[in-house]
Amino acid sequence: MASATLTKAKRSQRSNFGQDNLVGYLFIGPWLAAFFLFTLIPITVSLALSFTDYNILSNSGDFIGLDNFQRMFFEDRRYARSVNATLNYVVFAVPLKLVFALGVAMLLNTGRRGVSVYRAAFYAPSIVGGSIAVAVMWREIFGNDGLVNFTLGLLGIEGPNWLGRPETAIWTLIILAAWQFGSPMLIFLAGLKNIPRHLYESAEIDGANALQRFLRITLPMLTPIIFFNLIMQLISGFMVFTQAFIVTQGRPLDTTLFYALYVYRRAFELNEMGYASAMAWVMLMVIALLTALVFRSSSYWVHYESDEGPA
Amino acid sequence: MKRKPLFLILCVMLLIAPTLLAAAQDQTVVRISWWGSQNRHDRTIAAIELYEELNPAIDIVYEFQGWGDHWTKLSTQAAGGELPDIMQHDYARLEEWVANGLLLPLDSYIEDGTIDTTYIADSSLAGGMVAGQMYGINLGNNSEVFTLDTDAFAAAGLELPPLDWTWTQFEDIANQIQSELDIHGIGVLTSDQLWKSYYMGCCDQWAYAPDGRSLGYEDDQPLIDYYDMLLRLQESGGMQSYEDNIARGDQGVEAQLIVSQEAAMAYHWSNQIVAVWNAAGPERNFVMYPIPRPEGGQSQNYIKPSQFFSITSQADNPDEAAAFIDWFTNSVEANQILEAERGVPVSSVVRDSLMPNLGPAQAEMFSYLGIIEMDNSSIRPADPAAHADVVSSIFVPEFVEPVMYGMISPAEAAPYLREEANRILAAQ
Repeated sequence: MASATLTKAKRSQRSNFGQDNLVGYLFIGPWLAAFFLFTLIPITVSLALSFTDYNILSNSGDFIGLDNFQRMFFEDRRYARSVNATLNYVVFAVPLKLVFALGVAMLLNTGRRGVSVYRAAFYAPSIVGGSIAVAVMWREIFGNDGLVNFTLGLLGIEGPNWLGRPETAIWTLIILAAWQFGSPMLIFLAGLKNIPRHLYESAEIDGANALQRFLRITLPMLTPIIFFNLIMQLISGFMVFTQAFIVTQGRPLDTTLFYALYVYRRAFELNEMGYASAMAWVMLMVIALLTALVFRSSSYWVHYESDEGPA
Repeated sequence: MKRKPLFLILCVMLLIAPTLLAAAQDQTVVRISWWGSQNRHDRTIAAIELYEELNPAIDIVYEFQGWGDHWTKLSTQAAGGELPDIMQHDYARLEEWVANGLLLPLDSYIEDGTIDTTYIADSSLAGGMVAGQMYGINLGNNSEVFTLDTDAFAAAGLELPPLDWTWTQFEDIANQIQSELDIHGIGVLTSDQLWKSYYMGCCDQWAYAPDGRSLGYEDDQPLIDYYDMLLRLQESGGMQSYEDNIARGDQGVEAQLIVSQEAAMAYHWSNQIVAVWNAAGPERNFVMYPIPRPEGGQSQNYIKPSQFFSITSQADNPDEAAAFIDWFTNSVEANQILEAERGVPVSSVVRDSLMPNLGPAQAEMFSYLGIIEMDNSSIRPADPAAHADVVSSIFVPEFVEPVMYGMISPAEAAPYLREEANRILAAQ
């Protein structure tokens, strides 16, 4: 059945090749135009700028070879700190968010009534996720007289100055990330629903307990989903900006000066577009490299059910 | 299906209607951009509306933002050739913008009387001159100030200090307020502005050398002494802790601790008393003091143009822009709305007309500027172009923060500050 449809599609593709393609290109034309204008061309320009000392105001932009990279890796102490802050964030925020998302997805993967209301409610924080309003609210929650310290006060604990202490400030942002677990949660939920029920049933008959079922069935069956979520969260984790920009402004002591925030500071506050472009390109390379590594590793741990033929 | 084209046409018409209407009325658009507090936004918008009423042919399109965003936005607009006709400018940055050809000289407008400077003292205009040409019209005179809450002083049983109070007296007062009232003496005193002017008091020097290629002081000891004092005050609670200040975030002049009665003193620019008093409420009582000085030292205050209106070289309608600046500066009606929120007005006619009806904040500011005129240090050259870089790459992250968090002593950090700042200044 499947192969019959495929040959049919192939045949019609051959006969109408030119016309179909034209219509196709017409449809994606607006997207292509915007892609070239607002993405591809600026990216190319920024690559060129990364070898110059272009400054928005003084506008010179002379070619300076690899000076920007030399400065970044060997002279700029804040650059090192921003890399450190970003790594700190990614290492904690990404796994925490994934674990949280999976946990909630499993709780919501039941047939009980009203569960769809909960699904919507748990997804809501992600819709408003990167917004200014949430960041401002986070300031209030973790402020000196905020909700967190108020609650701790009721328990007789004097809460620390969350946003003011170098040890705790970054954690407010990591918790904020974990709280915005909505989109990986939805994907996990879809994945969980795809796991055939009969696997659990036969495991139960064989006497497997809940933990064993989770470790032996749920996790292996979910690995493609985990893999996808990991890649997406890794990429967005490295690009974290709004939260730090609003909640902590990179302070204190540069412990929350995330990479993207530092790029922004250099580019738009100090007008050093050339240097900022170079920093952005290093970031792009690092993300590409890490993504490639995760892809490489996937053959060791990602399990595709379809490899073994129809169940 | 038939309705769709109609709907589309309606949408398009809605989109272009404002432009069409403006064109139909033959209005000239003048774009203007400023930074400031909410109080300033409200007043400036009210003045603009009055101007549009008086000049139906002019449509003033305004944008406003906080200090930091102002420069981010405007420099990006400059790169895109999209600068507004009029921009609010600052003494520290005027030179840089003139050097990059982004501002229009205003001399011809002053000569032909479009911008009337008859009632403005030359000394008030001087700050807007770069290389002998006028690039900014001063919107008000300003000086740094320590504002004291007299009710809090009375409650703590403290006498008001003499006008030439010293840092030692200040430290005692801050500590006494803390112990008597259990509030802070003052908010954090780590601004780069205080660093720039600190060497005036002790040594008649300035943070930067006159040519802007290096720091302007040789001896780190006064800076070390000052930060040692701040550390003592932070420890005792006489000053708000740096940590607390960071946790609160930058919420503008109106969020100063003195407003919420969490401190009895505040450090800010003199024009900001209007916004501070407005936020604190009319029943409060404040008095303005010069910056404390070292024992036997001189005044650390100087009089500075609070800000300018400049016309950009990318302006579409510079003539209309000049006419607006003239009105903003010289019109009594306009300034009754603005009420000296940008500092003491430079036009003597405007000043005299405001005198009889001054609010308490404005009256205090006028008399304070009178005091500073009698005893001050002379104004220093505008900041070098690398000032923003020095502050954001070195002064705050390598000096102020590590020192205030106790990671390094002022004596250890000061030489590094000097070394790194000099490197940036020499390289610009």
